[in-house]
Amino acid sequence: MTDRVSRLSSRPVLTVLFLWRRRLPGLALGVLASLAALLAGLALVAFSGLRLAGTGAGLVLASALLLRLLGIGRVLLRYGERLLTHDAMFRALADLRVWFFRSLARTAAGGIGFRRSGDLLSRLVGDVEALDGLYLRVIVPLAGAVLAFPLLFLLALRQGPALAVVVAALFAASVFLLPILAARLVRRDAGLLSGRASELRVSVLDLVGGLREIRAFNAEHRMLAAVRSREQALLSLQQVLARKAALAGAASFLCQQMAVLAVLAALAGLAFGRIRPMEGALLLFALLAAFEFAVGLARAGVLAGHMRHAAARVVQAGELPPGTTVQRLGTAVLPQGHALRLRDVTFRWQADRPAVFEHLTLDIPQGTRVAILGPSGSGKSSLAALLLRVAVPQGGQITLGGVDLASVDEAVLRSRIAWLSQSTHLFADTVRANLLLGRPDATDAQLWSALDQAGIGDTVRALPEALETWLGEGGTGLSGGQARRIALARTLLSPAPILILDEPATGLDAEAEQAFLSTLNEAVSGRTVILIAHRLTGVERLDRIWRLAGGHASAAAA
Amino acid sequence: MTADKALVRAWSRAQSRVGRRQARPVILLGVLGTGLAIGQAWCIAVVLARALTWGVSARAVQPGQHAFAAGPGWTPLAVFALLAVFRAVLQVRQETRAAGTAAASRRRLRDGALASILSRGPALLRVEAGGALTALVVDRIEALDGFFGRWIPAASLAVASPALVLAAVCVVQPRAAVVLLLCGLAVPASQALFGIGAALAARQQFTAMARLQARFLDRVRGIATIVLAGRAEDESRRLGVAADELRRRTMRVLRVAFLSSAALDCAFAVALVLIALLDGRTLLGRSTMPSAAGPVLLPHSLFALILVPEFFAPLRSFALAYQDRMQAAGAAVALDTLARAPADTPPPPAPGPSAIRTVAAHGVAVAFEQVGFTWDASRGPVLADVSFRIPARETVVLVGPSGSGKSTLIEMLLGFVAPDAGRITLNGADIATVVPDALSQMTGWIGQRPLLFAGSIRHNGLGARPDAAGAELAAALRAAAVDGFAALLPDGLDTRIGEGGYGLSGGQAQRVAIARAFLRNAPLLLLDEPTAHLDPVTEGEILDSLKRLAVGRTVLLASHSSAAHAFPGRRIHLSRGHVVQSEGVPA
Repeated sequence: MTDRVSRLSSRPVLTVLFLWRRRLPGLALGVLASLAALLAGLALVAFSGLRLAGTGAGLVLASALLLRLLGIGRVLLRYGERLLTHDAMFRALADLRVWFFRSLARTAAGGIGFRRSGDLLSRLVGDVEALDGLYLRVIVPLAGAVLAFPLLFLLALRQGPALAVVVAALFAASVFLLPILAARLVRRDAGLLSGRASELRVSVLDLVGGLREIRAFNAEHRMLAAVRSREQALLSLQQVLARKAALAGAASFLCQQMAVLAVLAALAGLAFGRIRPMEGALLLFALLAAFEFAVGLARAGVLAGHMRHAAARVVQAGELPPGTTVQRLGTAVLPQGHALRLRDVTFRWQADRPAVFEHLTLDIPQGTRVAILGPSGSGKSSLAALLLRVAVPQGGQITLGGVDLASVDEAVLRSRIAWLSQSTHLFADTVRANLLLGRPDATDAQLWSALDQAGIGDTVRALPEALETWLGEGGTGLSGGQARRIALARTLLSPAPILILDEPATGLDAEAEQAFLSTLNEAVSGRTVILIAHRLTGVERLDRIWRLAGGHASAAAA
Repeated sequence: MTADKALVRAWSRAQSRVGRRQARPVILLGVLGTGLAIGQAWCIAVVLARALTWGVSARAVQPGQHAFAAGPGWTPLAVFALLAVFRAVLQVRQETRAAGTAAASRRRLRDGALASILSRGPALLRVEAGGALTALVVDRIEALDGFFGRWIPAASLAVASPALVLAAVCVVQPRAAVVLLLCGLAVPASQALFGIGAALAARQQFTAMARLQARFLDRVRGIATIVLAGRAEDESRRLGVAADELRRRTMRVLRVAFLSSAALDCAFAVALVLIALLDGRTLLGRSTMPSAAGPVLLPHSLFALILVPEFFAPLRSFALAYQDRMQAAGAAVALDTLARAPADTPPPPAPGPSAIRTVAAHGVAVAFEQVGFTWDASRGPVLADVSFRIPARETVVLVGPSGSGKSTLIEMLLGFVAPDAGRITLNGADIATVVPDALSQMTGWIGQRPLLFAGSIRHNGLGARPDAAGAELAAALRAAAVDGFAALLPDGLDTRIGEGGYGLSGGQAQRVAIARAFLRNAPLLLLDEPTAHLDPVTEGEILDSLKRLAVGRTVLLASHSSAAHAFPGRRIHLSRGHVVQSEGVPA
C-alpha cells in the first residue's frame, strides 16, 4: 500500500483520491444522489416549460401531478444530496488528516519532525484544509456535467445532427474544456501564490518579532514599507488570478449563451432546419437548467489549479526524505540492559555538509549519569538525534544493551529512552493529558509525585482546576520556566530507563536552573541520565563528563 | 461570550458600512447584469412563443394568427446575442471589481493592525505571542476575503436583483409576479424559522471545527515529542476518533441547517410549478375559445417562467456567502482587541525631522531618580525607588537574578515604557521630553537574542543605518569580527539568513548585532544579557568585542552571568526592584 502511494505521488491529486478509496461507497452514493437531484431539477424546469409551451398548441404535455412530484422530488433529493455528500466529505477529510499525521510520524524517524519548523508544518495543515473542496466543488459538479452531456446530446439529436453537434460542442467547451484550460492557466500563478504569502508572513514575523530592534533603529517606516511591498506583490497576484478566473467564467458563460442561441435560431427556423417546436422548447429549457447548474465549473477549474499544489505539498510532506529507511521491525533479540555504546561513528546530516562526527567512540554504561558538553555547533543535539534514532549514522555502530540500535524494534526503543529538549512540545490540552503522554497508565499519585519531583507540584495544586487545568497552545498560561518543569515532569514520569535531557535549563534564570538541576539529582536514581549542555553549573552530580569538539569526544574528570 | 457576540455584530456592521460603500460599483454591476438577463429572457420568450404559435398556425387553425405566425426574424436573436456579450463583460468587471474591493479592504485592515502593533511597540510582546500576531495580520485578515468580496455584495444583491426581476414580471404578468413575491417572501420567513437554529448551530459547528483544526495543528507541531514518546499510533487513533466525533456532531447540525437551503429549493419549485400550472390553465382555457388572446399572453407567461431561476439565484448566493460572514467573527474579536488595548506606552514616534535635544559629541550622562514601575498591579511593582547615575563614557553593570527589573530599566532607556514614578534624565533632560527619533539615534542596544531580519548579512548590518557607506559597513563588520565567519558562508555577506535561509549560531548572530551597534555609533550603549545563551568560549569572544565597542561610550550592561563580571565598571545589584548594593570599579 505504501509503495502504491509513493508510486502515485507524481500525481498528487490522484494520490489523495487513492487515499480516499476506503470511502468510495459513501462518496459514490453522494455523487449518485447529486445526479438524481440534478435529473429531477432538469426535468422540473423542462416539463414546467413544456407545460406552458404546450398551451400554445392547446396541449397538456405534462400533467400537474408530474410537476408536483418532480418539485417534491427535487427538494427531497437536493436535501439528501447535501447530507450525503457532506457526510462523505467529512469522513474523507478525517482520513486524510489521520493519514497525514501518520505519515509525518513515520517520517519523523527520518528527521522531519525533529528539524522542520512549526511554521512550515502549520502551512501544511492549511493545505490539508484546502483539499476539502476537491470532492464537493470539483468532483460532484463534474459528475453532473458528465451525466447531463449525453442527455442534452440525445435531446438535440432528435432535432437534427447539426444542431446536436453544435449544442454538444458548446456544452463540452463550457463545462469540460474551459475548466481544464482555466486550471492550466492558473497553474503557474497558483504555485507562486503560496510563495508570495509566505514572503508576506516572513516580513510580518520580522516586524512583530523585531519590535524592539525596530524601535531602537527607528525602522518603523522601512519595515512598514517592506511589509506593504510584499502585501502588494501578493494582492496583485491574487488580482491576476481573479481576473483569469473571471475570464474563464465569462468564456464559459458565452459558450452556454451560444448554445441557447443555436437552439433559438433553430426554433425560429433561421438555421439547422425548422425543428419541432415542442421538443425544441424541451431542449431549450433543459439547456437553461443544465447551464444554471454547471455555471460554477469554470471556477472549479481555477480551484483545481490551487488544489493540485496543496495536494502536492501534503503528499510530499508525507513521503520519506530520499535516502532514509524506516525500520519498524527489529530483531527478536531484546536488548539486554541499557548500556549505550558508540563505536567509530561517522555522521553528517546531509551529504554536502561537513561531518558532525568522525570516528566518534563513546561509552555510557547502564545507570550512570553523564554530561556531554561542548560549544554550540559541536554536535551535542546530533548525538541525541543518533541515540533516539531520529538520524542514522553513515559509519560505525551504536548499540543498546549489546544490540545494534538500527535493529531494535521501534516500540522497544521508544520505551527505553525518554527525551526532554528545548523543542519538547506542551500540547493544548489539560495538564493531566500532557503528563499522560509520558506514561498513559499513570495513577494520580504517580502524576503528583512526578510534578513534585520537577518542583512544579505546588504551582499545579494552586491552579483552579489542578490537573484538569487547560494549557493553551505551546503551554501558554504558564511561564517559560513552569512550562519546562511540566515537560520535565512528563519525562520523569516515563518509565524509560534512559533519560536524554538536551539543554533542559534553557530559558531558566540562574537560580531556577540550579534548583532544576538539583531536582534531577534526586529524581532519577537508578536510571541512565544523559545531560547535554554547553556548560555545567556545578550542582550536577555526575559520573562522567564527555567534551565534544571537532567531531570527537574526550573524557573529562567528573 | 455575549460580549463577544455583540462585539462581532458591531464590528461586522461597521465593516459592512465601509465595505458597502466600496462595493457599490460591484452591486451596481450586479443589478445591471440582472437587467440584461431580464432582456434576454424576453428575447427567448418572444422567439419561443412565436415558434410555438407558428406550429399551431401551420396546422392552420386560427386564420387571425397568421400575422403572428410569420417567423420572428433575426431581431430578438441579435438582441439576445448582444445582451449575452454585454453580460459577459459585466460579469468580468463585477468579479474583478469585487476582488479589488476585497483586496483594498484587507489592505486597509492590515494597515490598521500594523499601525496598532507599531504604536503599542515592544510592550505588546509581553501580552501577545509574536506567532499569534503574525497569524492575525497575515492569515486571518486574508481569510476575510470572502466577507468583503462575496458576503457584502451578496447581502445587497439579494434584495436589489430579485426586486428588479419582480418589477419586470409585474409589468407583463402581474399574477406570476404575485407568485414570485409570495415564494420570495417565504425565503426570509423560512430562514427566520430554521435560520435561528441553523445560525446558532452553524456557529457552534464552526467553533468545533476550528477547535479540531487547532488540535490537529498543535499535534503536528509537537509531532517529534509524540513520536519520541512512542505514542504516535495512539495519537493518530485519537485524532481519527476526534474527527469522527466532530463529523457526527456536525452532521446533526447540518441536518437542521440544510433545511433552510431546502426551503429555498422548495420556494423555487413551488414558484416554477405554480406559474406553469396557473398560466398554463389560463392559456389553455383561452386558446380553446375562438377569441383567444393566447398568442399575446404566451410570451408573457414564458417570460415569467424563464425568470424564476434568475429571481432565486441572488438569494442562493446570499445563503452561500453566509459562511464567509461566520469566518469574519473570529478575526473581528482579535482585531478589535488589538486596536482597543490600552495605550500605556508612549505615543507612536512621530515621523518628522529628528530634533536632537541632547548633544552626542560630549557623551551622554544618564540618571535614574526614584524610578518606579509596575507592569501588572496584581504582581506588585517591578521597580521601586531606583536611583543611580552613569556618568558620560562610563560603564555600569546591573547585576541581579531574572525578574529583578534589569530589563525593565533598559526598556525605559529605550523609550519602550515610561516610568510610573520618578524620572530618568539624559544629560539633565527628562527622557519624556526627548523626541523618540532622537532618543533612538542616541542609543545602541544589544539584547539576549538579537533578531536578524530575513535577508542578507549586509542587509541586516545596514538595518542600523541604511545610509552608511560601504567602507563604514566593512569597518563595522571587521570590528565585530563578522568578516571572519562570513567569508566561510556560501555567498559571503550576501548569504540569505533567517527564515528559509542559512541559520547562524547564537554567537554569530550576536556578532552581527554588535556590527550593527558599531555602525550605529551611538553614544549610549545598552546591553541586555548579551551572552546569556552562549557557551563559555563564545561568550569570552563576544565579551572582547563588546569591550571594544564600549570604548568611549556610556554603557549600561545587565547580566546575571559570571563572565560579565569581567567587564570593567561600577556594579549595581538589583533585587526585587530595589538597588541593594552598589560597588565601585574592581581593579
